[in-house]
This record gives sequence, structure tokens and C-alpha cells, in this order.
Amino acid sequence: MILRLSWLLLAATVRAASLSLQSPRFTISTSDATQLRSDTLSLTKKPEPLTLGATDTLKLTFQITDNDEGKGVQPHQTFLRFYDKVSGEEGIQPVRVTPGGKAKFELNMARPPASIPPTTQNPLEVSLILGSFVHAPAKYDLFNIYLPASQTPAEHPDEASFHVLPTIEHTFRPEQKLPPQFISAVFAAAVLSPWVVLIGLWGKVGVRVPHLFSPSIVPFTVLLGGFEVLLVWYWVDLKLGQVLLYGGMLAIPTMFAGKQALYTTGEWRAGRK
Amino acid sequence: MAGPKSSSKSSSASSETSAAIATLWKSYLDETPDRLKFIDAFLSFIVLSGALQFMYCVLVTNYPFNAFLAGFASSVGQFVLTASLRAQVNPENRSEFKEVSPERAFADFALGSIVLHFFVFNFLG
Repeated sequence: MILRLSWLLLAATVRAASLSLQSPRFTISTSDATQLRSDTLSLTKKPEPLTLGATDTLKLTFQITDNDEGKGVQPHQTFLRFYDKVSGEEGIQPVRVTPGGKAKFELNMARPPASIPPTTQNPLEVSLILGSFVHAPAKYDLFNIYLPASQTPAEHPDEASFHVLPTIEHTFRPEQKLPPQFISAVFAAAVLSPWVVLIGLWGKVGVRVPHLFSPSIVPFTVLLGGFEVLLVWYWVDLKLGQVLLYGGMLAIPTMFAGKQALYTTGEWRAGRK
Repeated sequence: MAGPKSSSKSSSASSETSAAIATLWKSYLDETPDRLKFIDAFLSFIVLSGALQFMYCVLVTNYPFNAFLAGFASSVGQFVLTASLRAQVNPENRSEFKEVSPERAFADFALGSIVLHFFVFNFLG
């Protein structure tokens, strides 16, 4: 029982323990290792904003210690957060910490990590976030930094498909016109003129139709005429289904009338022979 | 029947041709039965009518194009049907169409014409 209590007590004290940051320091150097700026960071007051050129390197070193014992500890999670206040974009970069609590972070702008958010003219706020199972979490606002503006993102291959297309405007050919009435009339007369030729020729040939009004012929002739009337009616008014229906109805008597008429004709032909 | 022999070798080719045509025409008038002449008159009517429609389409306008198509197709179709009727009822072709009586040919002609006219009126719009 006492043992368990002591364990609980221990856990409580450990939980109460907090982390602190020792000797945070940054250095900005150019690609040929010339130091441009180097300073320690105050945790209470941000320094003048840092500025990084296109090939410069920022080095950040610090040590994390336990507040109570003053020994270096390795927190379970250590992150640097780059946050653009204006655009709201942020990038999180994990930082490797040694078991002794020492950490070194390098940001080489010649090869910037992918976690850096897209940069503009605005500075990024850099803060350090520490997370631990046994210590209270900690967050330190370290400094503001100006990074070179990032390149515009490459255009996506499908980019062009995601825009409003220009309005489709239909162009219609001008309405076709009927020819003048005179020409229409002349050609109508011309197209009808073969009827005169036909009637003239038939008159000249002079075929006799002695059986035209015989009772066995007339129904067939009338029903054939009925078909033609039906088709003209179709042109003027009827729908396809109606024509097929009426045509089907008309077909049955026509079939019988035709059979009768043509049989009679055949008899006459045979009789005459 | 044989055509007349040209009386002299010096007669021009054109007069020979016209003589041949005249003979052909005369023999047609003399030898063709009236019923076939009746059909031939109808055929020439169809040809004239179709040619005039085509002329109108070429010279003036094809504007109601469906109407032109319907009219011209009816001419062509009716010509084909009538020509086949003529071939089948011609007594000289009796040996070719032994099992087709003239009545049967006319029945085919009537049915074919009705179907053709149905399509033509369908097209006329």
C-alpha cells in the first residue's frame, strides 16, 4: 500500500515537472560559410526579424532541460512551426534532439524542406513546440523570419479544365428563301405539264377499258384510290400510327377485292384467248 | 425485222441514223400492243416529270430539300415499278415469266406502288 502511494506521489511530482529551453541560439551564414548574423534568443522578447537569402543557411541550437533537476532531457516530440499569419498557412518541421537534450536545426534555403509553407513578402512566425509524456507541454515563440518568396506552384496538367468555358454561341445559317412567286409558278406549271403529255399520249394510244365499271373491278379500284387518299391525308394531318392502323384495316378488304378483280380479269383473258 | 439498206454508200452517217431511228419508231408503233404503249406513255410521263423536278432543283433551289427528294424518289421508284410491270406483262417475255401471270404482276405493281407512296408521303413532310 505504501509502495503504491509512493509511486503515485512520484508520478505526481514527475507530472508537475516542466521543460525549459537553455541557450537557444541562431546563426545565419551564407553558402560560403560567412556568418551574417548570430545571436542568442531571448524567450521573453522576439529579436529583430531574421532575413534569409536564397542560398543562406539558418542554424538553430538549443538544449532542453528539466526545470527541477537541470539535466538535459529528450522530449518525445519536438517541432518547429512555421506560421504565416496573413495567409494562415503553416508548416511543421520535426527536430532531432539527442538524449542529452541538445538539438540542432538547420534550414538551408538552397534546399528548403517540403514542410515550409509557401512564402510571400510576409514573415513567418517560428515557434518551438515540445511534447512529453512526463512533462508539461511547452511552446516558445522564437522569432519571425523573412524567407525568400517561394516560386509560383507549377501548373497542374488539368488546370485548363477547371475554368469557366466561354459561352457557346450558335450561329445559324440564314433562313432559306423560297424563289419568287413567278418562278415558282412557272416551274409548277412545267412540272405539271407532263400530265398533258400523258393524257395526250393515252388519248392517242386509245386503250379501251370495257370492264372498268364492272362490279368485280370497281371495289378494287376504289380501295386502291382509298389508299392514295389515306396517304394524302397522312401528309396533311395524320400521325404515323394512325396511318398504319387505317392502312392495315384497309388492306384486308383490298386484298380480297384485288383477288376477286384479278381473278375475274384472268378469266376474261383466258376466255378471250 | 431488218432495217432498210442504205440506197447509196455516199449517204451521210446522220441520215443513216435518222433513217434507223425512223424505222425503229415505225416498228414500235406497228408492233407494240396498245397496252404496252399505254404503259410506255406512263413511263415517259414519269421520266419527264422527274427530269423537270431535277431541273428545278439544279436551276432554282433545292430549298424544301425533303420535298425534292420525295418527288424525285417517287419518280424514280414509280419508273422502276412500272418498268418491271411492263417487262412482266409483255407477251414477248412470256417465256421468261412463265409462272408470273399479268394479274400477279399488276398485283405486285399495286402493292409496290402503295408502299412507295407511303414512303414518299412520309418524306414529303
